[in-house]
Amino acid sequence: MNNVTQIVQKVRQAPWRVQRQWIGLFLLALVLMAMVAGIYLNVTVGATLAGRETIALQATITTNQRVNADSETQLAGLTSVEAMQQRAEAIGFQPASPDDITYVAVPGYVAQSAVDLSTPGAAHPAAPVILPEYTESWFDYFMNQQASSASAGGQP
Amino acid sequence: MKRHPHAWRYLSVAFLLAGLGIAILVQIVRIQNSPEVAGVIDQGNYIWKDFFPPRGEIYDRHGSLLAGNKTVYEIGLDLTVNPDMPTVMLALQMSGLDLNEVNYRISLAPVNAQYIILDDFVSADKAEQLMTLQKAAYADPTGKNLDAVFFKAHYARSYPENDLASNVLGFVTEDNHGYLGIEEKYDNILAGIPVRMLVPADPRRATEYPTIPPGQTIILTIDREIQAAIEKILDQALVSTDASSGTIVVMDPRTGEILAMSSTPRLNLNDYQSITTVFPGETPFNRAISQAYEPGSVAKILTMAGALDSGAVQPDTVYFDEGYILVGGFRIVNWDGDAWGYQDMTGCLANSLNVCLAWVSSIKMESDSFYSYMQRFGLGHATGIDLAQETSGRLKLPGDGDWGPVELGTNAYGQGVSVTPIQMVMAASALANDGKMVYPHVLYAQIQDGKQSNTRTQIVGTPISANTAHTISEMLANALGTESSAALVPGYRIAGKTGTAQIPLSGGGYDENDVNASFIGWGPVDDPRFIVYVWLEKPQSNRAASVVAAPIFKQVVEKLVVLMDVPPDAVRLQMIGR
Repeated sequence: MNNVTQIVQKVRQAPWRVQRQWIGLFLLALVLMAMVAGIYLNVTVGATLAGRETIALQATITTNQRVNADSETQLAGLTSVEAMQQRAEAIGFQPASPDDITYVAVPGYVAQSAVDLSTPGAAHPAAPVILPEYTESWFDYFMNQQASSASAGGQP
Repeated sequence: MKRHPHAWRYLSVAFLLAGLGIAILVQIVRIQNSPEVAGVIDQGNYIWKDFFPPRGEIYDRHGSLLAGNKTVYEIGLDLTVNPDMPTVMLALQMSGLDLNEVNYRISLAPVNAQYIILDDFVSADKAEQLMTLQKAAYADPTGKNLDAVFFKAHYARSYPENDLASNVLGFVTEDNHGYLGIEEKYDNILAGIPVRMLVPADPRRATEYPTIPPGQTIILTIDREIQAAIEKILDQALVSTDASSGTIVVMDPRTGEILAMSSTPRLNLNDYQSITTVFPGETPFNRAISQAYEPGSVAKILTMAGALDSGAVQPDTVYFDEGYILVGGFRIVNWDGDAWGYQDMTGCLANSLNVCLAWVSSIKMESDSFYSYMQRFGLGHATGIDLAQETSGRLKLPGDGDWGPVELGTNAYGQGVSVTPIQMVMAASALANDGKMVYPHVLYAQIQDGKQSNTRTQIVGTPISANTAHTISEMLANALGTESSAALVPGYRIAGKTGTAQIPLSGGGYDENDVNASFIGWGPVDDPRFIVYVWLEKPQSNRAASVVAAPIFKQVVEKLVVLMDVPPDAVRLQMIGR
């Protein structure tokens, strides 16, 4: 009871102490908000830079795809039937006739079959192009972190 | 109670800082959420953008590229930067662009135009030359510049094999539409879906850029080596026989896969604009599917197969050929006008006797049975092959206004009925494939999301039994051997039949001077790997198919056995026996 009486007495003697405490608390809140704003700004700048990089990469991908298509078509032209026959004849080959061929039984020989142009690993889904760091909210981030730590054995 | 002497200072600083902080936060929130600012961002940072997916590529069955893409350029002029026109025109000329085309495009531009397309589908070589000139102009001390010239790269179709398999492939025009052949038939999956949309220039929203899937890549059943071989043989045949046109089709009778298909003329697909010159008038782009004709005696194999299957005749059934037969009041005679006396059914095929086959259809089978078999073989109906512009031919049936009783006799030897080569090949596949008739197709597989989906073999029907198929194959093989046909290939047992057909005139009657010469055959007889159809239109060197078409069949088979690794029968059977 005496302690309460003493505090009340001190406040009555120096009310600026309470004001200072309120100001301190307010400034603390302000600093916290400024930190949040700074982080927010940082994330926004990061997203912007990443976006610009994404656009640049998309342009590069488009260019590379065109170069690949050009190269493939040029290669196909260089190895066309007509070109290959001319090259073969130029170095002394001639078309084979049935009489030129000797057949030999080779155990395990598998005759040439049609091509398979499946892309290796196509059965597995591709990794997402945009990382979740650029799309998820903080709430999602914390939830994911919690979920991952739980799955990693972080729970008692 | 005494107030701290400096309290007002602390309070002032505190209020100042608080006001500043609040102002900053309010400003941040306002910028982020203000509809005015958002509107400004949206208006200024959204742009129209065209997304053209690359057209799917076309490969042959062994992975050789038949149709791909290459980079070409749209060359434009930005009129807002006051272009140096004399320098621009000089540079265009130096780069090899057609100035007449450029001037024409400029003349079409509206008065207030800000951008003009000077030329499009400019080759990479020319565009790069112009780019080099543009770079050089940057450093030009006299002030000449090409700053207003802009380049926009995009795809264009390219055919590295030029005219190889052109009748099958078709072509793509500058507006990215496929015409004829595969390009038209599978245009929707090859072209992909072009998208024109507003996209945000705001880089923070780059994720909103659409993902445009490319057109699907497809693999054809065509073997380019076989295709090249038959095209060469066909070209030589046209020269040696002086035929007006020719067609060769090669199919795997077990699966219906078209291994090669060629008809004349052929088009360099990289120069598709010349199509009206190469294919004047009503010239079919692919005669194998688009030109129906009366096939003549090659159709006898279907008549005989139906007769055997129905039990109307047996291989050893004997017919006494008097040289003519009356059907529907009309006199039918043999190709040579002679009487051939006693003939068994193999003899009728070997000597290609019209009278005998007319007897089989009209006397032994009769109308219902005969036409039932012809329909089961698919005559009168398109095969449904996956190529654009297939025609169905015509099988007149009893009850049709223009059908007469004599047709029952003439149809038996391939006159009065029209078919396309692909129809005959499909029908004959039943004879070569244990009675099972297969759907002819050109698409081997399509690639989607990196995964290959192969086309499955489809059995269209079973018009005859396996036993009948073996019997007719044996009869045809024996018939070829008996007549020492020019189609025979040493070491390989082949079944086949010639056809020399009269050509109907539009006003009625038949052409006295010209014929169609055909040959259909398959082999090896005990395990058919290929079925070959040869058709020469109006050969001039000789009218008989046994003279002009059979040797071409032989040349094709000699190539096939090499390219398809088909050993001679004796070697193959020896290998199987081990």
